[in-house]
Amino acid sequence: MDISLIIQMVIAAVIGATLYTIIGIAPGTDETAVLAPVTLVLVLMGIQPIVILSFFISAIVAKKLTDSIPVAIAGIPGGVMAAPMVEHAMVLKKYGLPDVSIRKMASGSVIGTIVAVPLSLLLASLLAPFGGNIAQYAGPIFFGGAVFLALMSKNRWLALASILPFAILIQGLRHLYWGIGIIPEDKTVFTSFFLGITIGPIILTLFELINKDIRQKKPRYGKKEIKVMKQKPTKGFPNPFKILERSEVRTTSFASFLGVVTFFMSPVGMTIFLGEALTKYIKDPVKRASRAIASMDGLTNATYISGTLIPLIAIGLPLSPTAIGPAIALFNAPPVLTEEHNLHHLLTMTDFVVATIIGAVIAIGLTYYVTVKYSQQICAFVFKYVPHEALLGVFFALVLMLAYRDAGLINIAGVFLIGIVAGTLHRWGVNYGVQFMVLYAAPWLLGLFS
Amino acid sequence: MESNDKKYIEVWEDVVDMKDLVLSLIICSITTMGGYFLAPNDETKPLIFGLIGTVIGFIICTVIFKPKRTFEYIEEEE
Repeated sequence: MDISLIIQMVIAAVIGATLYTIIGIAPGTDETAVLAPVTLVLVLMGIQPIVILSFFISAIVAKKLTDSIPVAIAGIPGGVMAAPMVEHAMVLKKYGLPDVSIRKMASGSVIGTIVAVPLSLLLASLLAPFGGNIAQYAGPIFFGGAVFLALMSKNRWLALASILPFAILIQGLRHLYWGIGIIPEDKTVFTSFFLGITIGPIILTLFELINKDIRQKKPRYGKKEIKVMKQKPTKGFPNPFKILERSEVRTTSFASFLGVVTFFMSPVGMTIFLGEALTKYIKDPVKRASRAIASMDGLTNATYISGTLIPLIAIGLPLSPTAIGPAIALFNAPPVLTEEHNLHHLLTMTDFVVATIIGAVIAIGLTYYVTVKYSQQICAFVFKYVPHEALLGVFFALVLMLAYRDAGLINIAGVFLIGIVAGTLHRWGVNYGVQFMVLYAAPWLLGLFS
Repeated sequence: MESNDKKYIEVWEDVVDMKDLVLSLIICSITTMGGYFLAPNDETKPLIFGLIGTVIGFIICTVIFKPKRTFEYIEEEE
């Protein structure tokens, strides 16, 4: 590893942390939708895998640090993962302690990262000897994953019933593309279908709005009112071990540990379950809320890091909700990376350790410092100057470009079709996890019928 | 003042103005695809130019559209 590569990794990590500090604060940004397309473009541009890994790790750590800030300040989750924290943050806000909220959450995040990085690397090297065997059964495993996630979800029978039809849609489009000869038989369209699922809810809404009746019936809102409590400035470099009480450090570390071990489970589900279970016995509402947000934030960070690193290092297949969602481009971004040729195969253990540590340290150094000191100013900037329309425009345009690149003009319509179906299923309660698993399992599943 | 008119719709957890949304989708699409097609035709340049186009589109939209949020500080109430 030479010095110029390390400099590249550092620069990538700084860019990742800066970009996702801003995106993390913007309300309503889904982790997968904001991380996957950008990482995909970077991979396809031919940037070195190790540089991309440090970018990605820095991006998730920064995003997880900041997406809880709007929760504390305004009660608006900055991402799907921050949603479970709203209730507890509102308790602290009610007692006039939003600045405490932010500091506790950010410190929880840091502890989650400190616990998750070494533990994930350790667990991954323990699991690595079995990885080769697991990879052989990818098809059935993904199908099993889809069924498992379907059964775990709220609308389990609907989710189960949607598996086969959705697989038919995906494989049907692929066979059509092969049939009319726009894609060679040895190439499989993947990336753009994935993105179609991700922005499905937006595509569905856009199509709906073309219908006049639906357009007129859509609920209307006034401007979103955001009120922010003034907070006092802090001095010096913040220390997470001082900000958190010892009991909070303990609970957060324990929650993070459990988050790493359960890397294959849904992060949101684990956050809600463990966050509540570990703090239920505390009587004082303020203490309870602050311990809950610290440990929840630690936990989400830990599940994201472990969910990315463990499958990547040990297996080479995206066998966790994080891997199959935000981190997908590290596993599969044809033609640059495929299931047989991705970061798992390209990087050594040392590469993984170096890239992860550079990413995590830079993100914590930059984002944690900035978060604790200037959270209010950043929030004000994002809320005042970044219109939601512009963010939607960016992700729509990225999907358009990658759809065209995958299979030409017809695929833009193909991705719209997938978006309409996926968006409808999503609205009905079939979560992303199930849909992504089906995308992976589809070739094997439909092969059973031939 | 039109700020209290209920005319915005909710997309992805935040409110948007329909006309602004359509315009910003069009602007970002044109700048992105424009970059993609104007780039020299090799493996990676179209993506790089496309991404630059996206950033330009984002900046244009940020400048011409206002966020549909009101923002105010409240003093700490003891």
